[in-house]
Amino acid sequence: MGEELLSGDHVAVLSVRGVSKSFAANRALSDVSIELKAGKITAILGENGAGKSTIIRIASGEIQPDTGTIFLDGEEAHLRSPVDAMRRGIFVVHQEPQLVNEMTIAENIFIDELGERPFFSSWRKQALVRRAVELLEGLHMSELLPDPRRHCRDISAAERQLVDIVRALGRDPKVLFLDEPNSSLSRQETDRLFAVVRGMAERGAAIALVSHRFAEVYELADNIVILRDGMRVASGTVAGLPAEVAIKQMAGEKRRSSPSAGQEASVLGRGSDAPPADRTAGRIAIRLENCSGPGFSDVSLEVRAGEILGMAGLVGSGRTEIALAMIGATRIETGVIEVAGVRGAMHSPEAALRAGIAFISEERRTGLFYSQDIKFNMSVNVLGKFARVGVIRRRLQEAAMQKLADQLGVRAESIDAPIKSLSGGNQQKVLLARALASNPDVLILDEPTRGVDVTTKREMYATLRELAATRQLAVWFISSDLEEVLELADRIVIVRDGRIANNFEGGPDAGEVVAAALGERFTAPAAIAHSNNPEES
Amino acid sequence: MKKLSATLRRQEIGLFGVIIVLTLIFSLFNSHFLTSQNGAFILQSVAVIGIMAIGEVFVLIAGEIDLSVGSVLGLTSAMGAWLMSQGVDPWLAVVLTLVFGCVIGLIQGSIIVYGKVSSFIVTLGTLSVGRGLTEIVTGGGLPISLSPSVLVIGQGVVWGYLRWSAVIFVLVCILGQFVLSRSVFGSRVTAVGDNVEAARLGGIPAGRTRVLVFVISGCLAAVAGLVYATQSGYAEGNAGNGNELFVIAAVVIGGASLAGGRGSAVGALLGAILLGALQNAFVLLHLSPFLQQLSIGVVIIAAALFDQVRQGSFALPRWLRGRNSRASVVTPDPPDAPVPASGSSASTS
Repeated sequence: MGEELLSGDHVAVLSVRGVSKSFAANRALSDVSIELKAGKITAILGENGAGKSTIIRIASGEIQPDTGTIFLDGEEAHLRSPVDAMRRGIFVVHQEPQLVNEMTIAENIFIDELGERPFFSSWRKQALVRRAVELLEGLHMSELLPDPRRHCRDISAAERQLVDIVRALGRDPKVLFLDEPNSSLSRQETDRLFAVVRGMAERGAAIALVSHRFAEVYELADNIVILRDGMRVASGTVAGLPAEVAIKQMAGEKRRSSPSAGQEASVLGRGSDAPPADRTAGRIAIRLENCSGPGFSDVSLEVRAGEILGMAGLVGSGRTEIALAMIGATRIETGVIEVAGVRGAMHSPEAALRAGIAFISEERRTGLFYSQDIKFNMSVNVLGKFARVGVIRRRLQEAAMQKLADQLGVRAESIDAPIKSLSGGNQQKVLLARALASNPDVLILDEPTRGVDVTTKREMYATLRELAATRQLAVWFISSDLEEVLELADRIVIVRDGRIANNFEGGPDAGEVVAAALGERFTAPAAIAHSNNPEES
Repeated sequence: MKKLSATLRRQEIGLFGVIIVLTLIFSLFNSHFLTSQNGAFILQSVAVIGIMAIGEVFVLIAGEIDLSVGSVLGLTSAMGAWLMSQGVDPWLAVVLTLVFGCVIGLIQGSIIVYGKVSSFIVTLGTLSVGRGLTEIVTGGGLPISLSPSVLVIGQGVVWGYLRWSAVIFVLVCILGQFVLSRSVFGSRVTAVGDNVEAARLGGIPAGRTRVLVFVISGCLAAVAGLVYATQSGYAEGNAGNGNELFVIAAVVIGGASLAGGRGSAVGALLGAILLGALQNAFVLLHLSPFLQQLSIGVVIIAAALFDQVRQGSFALPRWLRGRNSRASVVTPDPPDAPVPASGSSASTS
């Protein structure tokens, strides 16, 4: 171990050696070693289920490895719990923010202190607010997270993620794990976050980043470690491991021979590339005219059958609220809604489903049934299809769900496995499967590829394009990922301050328009550069 | 093999094992314990608690709680007896009593769902309201005799020692288990209890489902009320007093989660039988009634602890782990080579 320590210019602050971990019969990690060096940013790459989250959970004391050891500053360390790890300077920004909803932003930022302070010390809310304001100013994040007195139950998904980030950054960590920290952040918020992270690395912190956005990885990281099926398959510097090679390593042998990952997903029918002109000519599936409701006003838009509409906008702009009102989860106050030519707003998500509108919500915690199995999660809202007088015919249900799981490539031992045993990306596929199980005419997806790896994203894009082309499905997706909007959308709608700011065709010039529209209130010229990301080469 | 080990890990099987072991131990001390007569007696004596527990299991799986079952039992049985005393046809009175139980559940459920009040508060309130109404109906708790023609429900003999009340209990359990595990409604109850927001956004009629579980609970409390009253022959003011605790205990012992999303009717039946067998054993073994109360409390906590261990919520000490993890060793570890999961490789390559 001595030689390894001396081999690099930088000392390994945290090193994980020969770690293995199994969950029941599932091998999550086998014999994985990773070194995080002071002042360096290491990207951990891998497809969904490769073991990235597991290694973070082990290195932060959340779970114990079956075999293997963790060294902190060259000494063997037993991390008994996350609190123990924090005390030693190891912090994690989680993919799904863990916040106390009934507390304010300020209280959540400093919540770790509740565990560390003496029992009788005071917990003064005013002081916390002041310190939160100071901290946010120090990180130049005040405008991203205004008014720390708000309760976390009222804030958006992006703000939740920011709170989790600020909580870790505020502790000046020695080792920081970022597990897809920006999956629901806009480009401008992401830039701010990365600037802070870079500054921390310069001051000597060791940082590990998990991300599926290659442009970011190559922009930020120094070193790369690639995991596949729970094993370390490659590692090296950013220069020594170009994106092309990295993608192949992540995917492994089985896909290396085939020309394009996207084509492999074409199991639903024929090829997918119909010209955009055909798609926008379809009949109107959904029409909103001058609709106003909670969080948005005077919104007019159309989604046609066979068309993919991308809705982009800054966080808190009202994009999610429009979708929720559309499916009847909240009320529309004024305006006209037409579904397949029939006038009338949906009065509940159930009515929307019956009218052929399927919806996948932004956060997995409001979409999944965590104590149940995969099959249940996929079919629970369409069980009527497999039932006779209310009694489920299990064979029909299982056959249909197995077919759907295979089509979408859900990676699991079987569809009877608990949903908890799946990685985040695979859970997202299960949600997509559930939406498709209802055989909808309109599919509304709120951030459909949060926490999904490159290969899976391509598969999902191909699936959506194909459904739009062959079944005349109208797809309306909401995304803060510029690359995604540009790659997937036939038509793009920009939402700002609860209003439609722009509505135009997708195409080569769209990138500039979207970036400009997104960045008009802030400066984010960098966004344009990211549209030509290396993964497409 | 995998299916078998999954089955063996279920709470119901563990519970069944505990009941068998206890039965063997008790029968060592009193030869009367392990007789078909005593078995039938236990089943019929737990029928009242057990029938309510089947209703409660629906409520708990939906993530709610119903504290009013004992009080609804008292009120419905008093209503039934009063109707009979007023000259209503006895069997019509039985039907009306069941409808009355459903209506009570409907009112409670509607207040909880549409008034957005927690079920703990609402059913705590109706517990008290029910008691008050029962006092009014019975004129201050005086027993009302039932028509002799309906006493067959509680006292009628099916065959040998087996009474109708025990048969009703088992039938209700089988029907409940079938609805929970095989019907669309049962799956909706599970979905609502696991994640109500996901259920609502996913297009499941969450509100209607939550109201219906209270209707089921109210209806089964009325069934229990009829069984209770016909066992003794009259309805009394304080019938079912404090029963809600035993009912909830039976359901929790049976593996249901108070957080919702999990539970079974068979588990509730076994939980009720375990409680009944304990009570019965203490009588037969001439042990102190104080010990009886104490041991029931211990069983409740032990069952909840066992459930946590079974779900792997915390690690067992090393010396216990070897034995307990045998079930998972049965499924062989996958080989070290990166074998992709079957579901995906079959479709994508």
